[in-house]
Amino acid sequence: MADKHYPHQIVDKEGKVTRDPTWIFRTYSGHSSPKASNELYRANLAKGQTGLSIAFDLATQCGYDSDDRIARPEVGKVGVPINSLDDFHVLFEAIPIEKMNTSMTINGTAMWVLSLYVALGRERGLDVKKLTGTTQNDLIKEYLARGTYIFPPEHSLRIIAEMYEFCLREMPDWNASNICSYHLQEAAATPAQELAFALANAIGLLDLLRERGNFSATEFEQAVGRISFFVNSGIRFIEEMCKMRAFTELWDEITRERYGVKNAKYRRFRYGVQVNSLGLTEAQPENNAWRILIEALGVTLSRDARCRALQLPTWNEALSLPRPWDQQWSLRLQQVLAYETDLLEYPDLFEGSVVVRSKVDDLKRQAMAEINNILEMGGVKAAIESGYMKSALVRSMSQRMGAINSGEQIVVGMNKWTEGIPSPLLSGSDGGLFKADEGAARLAIEGLALTRKERDAERVARALAALKDAARTGKNMMEPSIECALARVTTGEWAKALRGVFGEYRPATGIDGQKLGLEGDRVDRVRARIEKLIPKLGRRPRIVVGKPGLDGHSNGAEVIAVSARHVGFDVIYSGIRLSPEEIVRSAVEEDADLIGASVLSGSHLELADQIMEGLREQHAQDRVKVVFGGIIPLTDFEKLFAKGVKKVFTPSDYSLIDIMESIVSVLEEEAS
Amino acid sequence: MGDRERGDLALIDGARALDKHSVSALISLFEDMRPEAVPRRALVVDQLREQSRPPGAVLGITGAPGSGKSSLLARLSLRLLEKDPVLSIAILAVDPSSPISGGALLGDRTRMNLPTWEKRLFFRSQASATELGGLGPWTFQVSRLLEALFDVVIVETVGIGQSEADVRHLADRVYLVMQPLAGDEIQFLKAGIMEIPHAFVLNKADEPTSQRSYHALRSSIALARPDADNIPILRTSARDGTGIDELCDDMLAAVRHPRPPARDKEAYFFERWVRDEWGRSGVRRLEREWGGAESFLVAARSFERAQADFSSRLGDLGR
Repeated sequence: MADKHYPHQIVDKEGKVTRDPTWIFRTYSGHSSPKASNELYRANLAKGQTGLSIAFDLATQCGYDSDDRIARPEVGKVGVPINSLDDFHVLFEAIPIEKMNTSMTINGTAMWVLSLYVALGRERGLDVKKLTGTTQNDLIKEYLARGTYIFPPEHSLRIIAEMYEFCLREMPDWNASNICSYHLQEAAATPAQELAFALANAIGLLDLLRERGNFSATEFEQAVGRISFFVNSGIRFIEEMCKMRAFTELWDEITRERYGVKNAKYRRFRYGVQVNSLGLTEAQPENNAWRILIEALGVTLSRDARCRALQLPTWNEALSLPRPWDQQWSLRLQQVLAYETDLLEYPDLFEGSVVVRSKVDDLKRQAMAEINNILEMGGVKAAIESGYMKSALVRSMSQRMGAINSGEQIVVGMNKWTEGIPSPLLSGSDGGLFKADEGAARLAIEGLALTRKERDAERVARALAALKDAARTGKNMMEPSIECALARVTTGEWAKALRGVFGEYRPATGIDGQKLGLEGDRVDRVRARIEKLIPKLGRRPRIVVGKPGLDGHSNGAEVIAVSARHVGFDVIYSGIRLSPEEIVRSAVEEDADLIGASVLSGSHLELADQIMEGLREQHAQDRVKVVFGGIIPLTDFEKLFAKGVKKVFTPSDYSLIDIMESIVSVLEEEAS
Repeated sequence: MGDRERGDLALIDGARALDKHSVSALISLFEDMRPEAVPRRALVVDQLREQSRPPGAVLGITGAPGSGKSSLLARLSLRLLEKDPVLSIAILAVDPSSPISGGALLGDRTRMNLPTWEKRLFFRSQASATELGGLGPWTFQVSRLLEALFDVVIVETVGIGQSEADVRHLADRVYLVMQPLAGDEIQFLKAGIMEIPHAFVLNKADEPTSQRSYHALRSSIALARPDADNIPILRTSARDGTGIDELCDDMLAAVRHPRPPARDKEAYFFERWVRDEWGRSGVRRLEREWGGAESFLVAARSFERAQADFSSRLGDLGR
């Protein structure tokens, strides 16, 4: 006979008291080479990690082979380099992919990477229908914040739609894309903006799928059920918990009312979470461990706001890429939370809370107003193309920076209680930082050469021709891409073929019309100093602002370029994805006085070497000064100075006028 | 001979071999506002005049922001280099300066998949030092330097109104790049720039409105220009390469076509310089002798009287 049960208990179908299952534990990882990453994955799985989350390097994300000029400094840096199916065989060696839930952070080349995964399954003789996982594949947020897009919006959206159409029939448990609100919060979106932009994005996708008309009514309903989300969780953890509830309720309402989805299962808001990195500080980095814990609570504490899968960053993320130990420490946090505490033993803790209800309703109201606003503009594609969403985010970011600058928003250890005992975590022999394998690029390039040598060149040519034909005629490109994968086409070749048909997206650099809040006496003084330099130099000082390499986080470089013009420099800025040679060529042809290079991918030492070497070859090393900005650990400052770099700026230099004064002083020293 | 002269002669030798650093340094000399730069420039001009090489052709490419000039130019120059294996090209891109800070954003350096140090292609940006764009105070001088060194000099401007006339005097052939519009001819006529170009380039030909725009533009030209039949409209797409070959051929024909002597251009730009210089010296005098416009107006008691007063004080030189 059944026991008596209480509202605080969870009861299973047989009437027994039970606990909820744990969420999926993931660690975003991958580096150096397929072989090194494979070893890392196997070690993490042995430690109790339950899903894979694959980080690709920027060359792979942007569709370049490892031996491409522009790719070289990035190979193996922020993720694993994948050039062909041969690399996938190594990456997943001895890992039963049919039993894995695999999440892949891939966007511009998502169709290619999914094709590789399918091809791997086919060569292993698996039933591809059984593969589960996610390709991130959200290009809207790439245009807005992350920057690894390749093609113009309409073609990117077509690729996403084709992947949904393929997956629904051939891989029913695969999430063809993941609507990301994560990166919006990283770009300083408010909770209401995060809700609104992400849901407007999902609406845009579903509208497109419906318009294309390739699904029956039943299939369309299933497709709605395949939409999944990737959400951020910040330090205001009560609000974040309410945001998750608002997401769930809004999605249920939208799918029911806008798309008429009857089956409640297909209306469920399915999501994974990575907690916030934006708020992690370089100063007193050990404090980040607490921030991560609190942010994790926001999305695990209560049943109705609990994610399906969770990835945690590491305490030292503002300093460098994580080491395996740092990742293990974050994984242990999840395990303690799930297995030691009583978190999973209760139904929803906040059911009936008047406070939570009111907060959720408030967020929903604000979000719906913004969604309707975007829909009136013509939807998410129009709001991207007009720059509306980007400028809203830029505004939020400058408000946030302003509040931190003024001390109105407290960040412990950064703008308050900044004195402290130096962290012993940073005192190990490696300084608490990760060092990527220097030989990674060599390994990748050797593997690539071998693949090119051994493959059937005719089959490659046929496969690429078929891919281009599909791209031109509007046929679904998945099967031709899979054939490319099987034929050992390379990542760069696949992307190049489609670049030839679709063209390459170059956004308006977004630098005009930014409000910088740069006014006042200090600006006037810098302008006066520049006017004084003019007769000495014979002309207005010229600076080249460049983003060498492939990381697409262009906001920092753009803000610097605009600020520099604002104080009176002539500024040469050519946007993102430049090779170091192109930057040196700019500086030489433009007879620039200074190069400002912005690097966030961790490749600053290699890029500094290449820029300095290029300047020496052109006998311009004395003429052109070089400064660097980006995520650069303190321990690398001296190394950069030794290479001849004059100044280094990091996120802790958040005052633009400080940076401008510093740049002017470099030129004044030279002119005197 | 001093060190400086020896240095400048070495730069000239380097520039003739299209060494990037030398070309770049000479351009800077031609933009240098210090008085000591003037005799150095004279030396360079004398040296270059002695060479047997005929000056290159100057092509003007102008068009509003957003018309896709930069991407078009990227594809175009690449194709030109392919079509003629010895041709050398310099691109001079002029962008507007901020009236408040004096600084400029010189974006869109053309990106091409060339060997980075390919000498046959040189790209330089120039700030116009004016708000609206058009040619800057140094554009003519730099263009003159570049035509002594390269076979083709392409001057790219964001021109509006008056500056278009300058381009027509600077360039042997002017192309106006336009993008497909919503479609009625009024919009083309309104632009007020129909009289200037030798050829029109209707870019973004892959866009659906392009066909209608082509016909609208044709009829606008027929209304605005008596020589309408001789004015080509080239339809291009930087995205898929449509029309690039035809545009290249048009340009190469212009390069091979005989050109009027440089004297004609010099006369126009000298006159322009006199106009600017006279204005500048007038303002200097206004400030030096009468403490600036404000106090002069106060003394004269009205705008009209101030004008008459100023002219009479300048005497003959002012008329």
